[in-house]
Amino acid sequence: MSSLLPNRSKTSVLVFLVPPLLLYGVAVLLPIFQSLFLSFFRWDGITDPIFIGLENYVRMFVRDDVFWISFFNTLSYLVICLVLQLGGALIVASLLISLRRARELVKTLYLLPAVISTVAIAFLFQRIYSLDPVGLLNQFLQWMGLGQLQQAWLSNVDTVLAAVSIPEGWRFTGLYMLIIYAALLAVPQELEEAARLDGATWWQVFTKIRFPYIRPVWISTTIIAATYALRGFDIPYLLTNGGPGQASELLTTYMYKTAFTHTDYGYASAISMFIVVECLIAVGLIVLLLRRKADA
Amino acid sequence: MKTSRVRLAATAMVAAFGLLLTACAGGGAGGGNTDPTNVDPDGEITPREISWLLSRPADGGVITAMKQIADEYAADHPGFALNLITTPDRPSYIQKYETLAAANKLPELFDTDATPFAKKLADQGRMIDAEALLKGLDIYDDYRPAALNYQRFDDGSLYMVPFEFQLEFFWYNKALFEEAGVEVPESLGDFPAMCTALKEAGITPIALDGQDQWPLERYMAYHPFRTAGPEYVQQLKKADAKFADDDGTAALEWLASLGEAGCFAEGFSSTGYADAQALFTSGKAAVYNIGTWELANLATESLDPAVRDDVDYFTLPLTPGAVTAANEYVTPSGIGMAVNTKTFDPLMRDFLAFALERYPEVYAATGALSPTGVESTIPDNATPLYARAVEQADDVGEKIAMPWDTQLDPTSNTRLQQELTLLVQGEISAQEFIETMDAVIAENGPAAFD
Repeated sequence: MSSLLPNRSKTSVLVFLVPPLLLYGVAVLLPIFQSLFLSFFRWDGITDPIFIGLENYVRMFVRDDVFWISFFNTLSYLVICLVLQLGGALIVASLLISLRRARELVKTLYLLPAVISTVAIAFLFQRIYSLDPVGLLNQFLQWMGLGQLQQAWLSNVDTVLAAVSIPEGWRFTGLYMLIIYAALLAVPQELEEAARLDGATWWQVFTKIRFPYIRPVWISTTIIAATYALRGFDIPYLLTNGGPGQASELLTTYMYKTAFTHTDYGYASAISMFIVVECLIAVGLIVLLLRRKADA
Repeated sequence: MKTSRVRLAATAMVAAFGLLLTACAGGGAGGGNTDPTNVDPDGEITPREISWLLSRPADGGVITAMKQIADEYAADHPGFALNLITTPDRPSYIQKYETLAAANKLPELFDTDATPFAKKLADQGRMIDAEALLKGLDIYDDYRPAALNYQRFDDGSLYMVPFEFQLEFFWYNKALFEEAGVEVPESLGDFPAMCTALKEAGITPIALDGQDQWPLERYMAYHPFRTAGPEYVQQLKKADAKFADDDGTAALEWLASLGEAGCFAEGFSSTGYADAQALFTSGKAAVYNIGTWELANLATESLDPAVRDDVDYFTLPLTPGAVTAANEYVTPSGIGMAVNTKTFDPLMRDFLAFALERYPEVYAATGALSPTGVESTIPDNATPLYARAVEQADDVGEKIAMPWDTQLDPTSNTRLQQELTLLVQGEISAQEFIETMDAVIAENGPAAFD
């Protein structure tokens, strides 16, 4: 530490670092440990908690089919969100770089959904997906002559998960686009030009120069997007509340229902512990995968 | 030595001051009444602001009437105010109220159904015994027995005061029925044929708000209520009866047949309350199952003239060999109001005496059905159907088809609502439903009703 900050005393570093660390401990670590503690109890909030050991975890892993359905739904939700957010962001950012005029306008337009409130977005998409009265999507299919594809997107168990993931993916594409765009701007033009003079194709320029250059930013963006998607809650909750059946139930919506509708705080804590571990594993995997590629 | 004595004295003083503060806090919370049957506490009436955490429409009859009554009371009792905190969306409300209950921060008055959670609060002595309260105020006999019975727990105890009385009907469009050549169903078994005929005529048979779950759950309650009576769900929720029993299986086969016949509009599970009602009031759907709280929208001139004269209603049909009578169906008295024991003091008693005495008259003047027998004022713009529906309230039988969402433990209830949607959409069979739900209730039911 002292080598990084040669002119500062250890005390002054501590004075500045300890308060935020304490705040983090109280606001983040403490609730996690409280949840861990509570996950060994059966508690409805009003009667005395009963210690049941690992029973909540046994129920979660062995007997609860909704938990597993929610887990796999969460993974699908994650994949759809990541593809839309990162893939979309990369494409838009690359196009933006080659745009000569109106860059600011396009950036603002893409960023707009990230600013709109979630409730408004959920309401908007409810109307877009609606079948009766006919919503935008079904109307569009009609115009394209694909009337036979019209359906109630939020009521069909085969389409609902994608239907609730898309708004979440769509709204943050602009935000990640901005981050990646900033990274792409920093790629040295002379390197690209030299490669092009040597006859490198567009794809080679992208994979050999641009992407390696933005890789650190790409890792951070993937981590942010993945943890956000794993914690995704509001849009699925508002659009379908996990239904029909459990077709769009995510671990987060299931945990929320377990705690606040079923007043089963112990079991909800066990699910929340799983979410914490799942997020840590996901971040670990992403870092590992992308680092290994970088070394290769 | 001297310093340690000073220190000791200081500690003692701090401790005494702390105790004093705690005592004051206790006093501030209304004397800390602990006896739920003590409905006539001693002491002086000291006006203060009280709160009612409730789940009713912000501009609805109950709130309008109670605001007026609170103003009248405040005129004679300066310093009094009734703070109404409403969350009309029921699931959000329940979360808010249960979280406040867990934090021991419930206000003077709060709304609740006769749920397992409310029973626990009652067992802990946290709600005033409503039967003792109403008898103490000498107004118990004014109430419609059905309105009180709806609020009771299974053991017959009463902890909530009703503020409404509703009848749930199947509203239907006579012109659409005629167009499809169908009659009002005489038995529940006639529903699938009715739906098929309507659908073939290009009409949406039944408008259903699937988003809120409870409207579909009503259909779950109907068949067993006819074949086995109100006791079925009381046993089922404790896993003493099963869906695999004859009554349960018959009900689920009936529900599956409704789905197969296409009774509900495609996409019903994401249709909201207003959209479902619009399907009926715009003349697209033939049947709409809803209570008399919608009289102003279904039986007055505010209804689209194109369908106004075609709207009629029928009550829950029977089944062959039904054990409940034709005049027994879903007749709820709405979510009830509970009185917090801890904050019950002479002021609360005095205000409730005034308010509950005055309420039926003020409320009935808005055209709504009062939980007591006071006659409702029929609005000037009402259609003849309005008066007929209101009169029907005086001919209600003893047994009530209880909405299942107030009966089952919350975990089983959530799962039941999910599986019901899947069953009616044809995603699962009645047999799969039975296996899943019997297992879920066996896991959660008995524990919730210990």
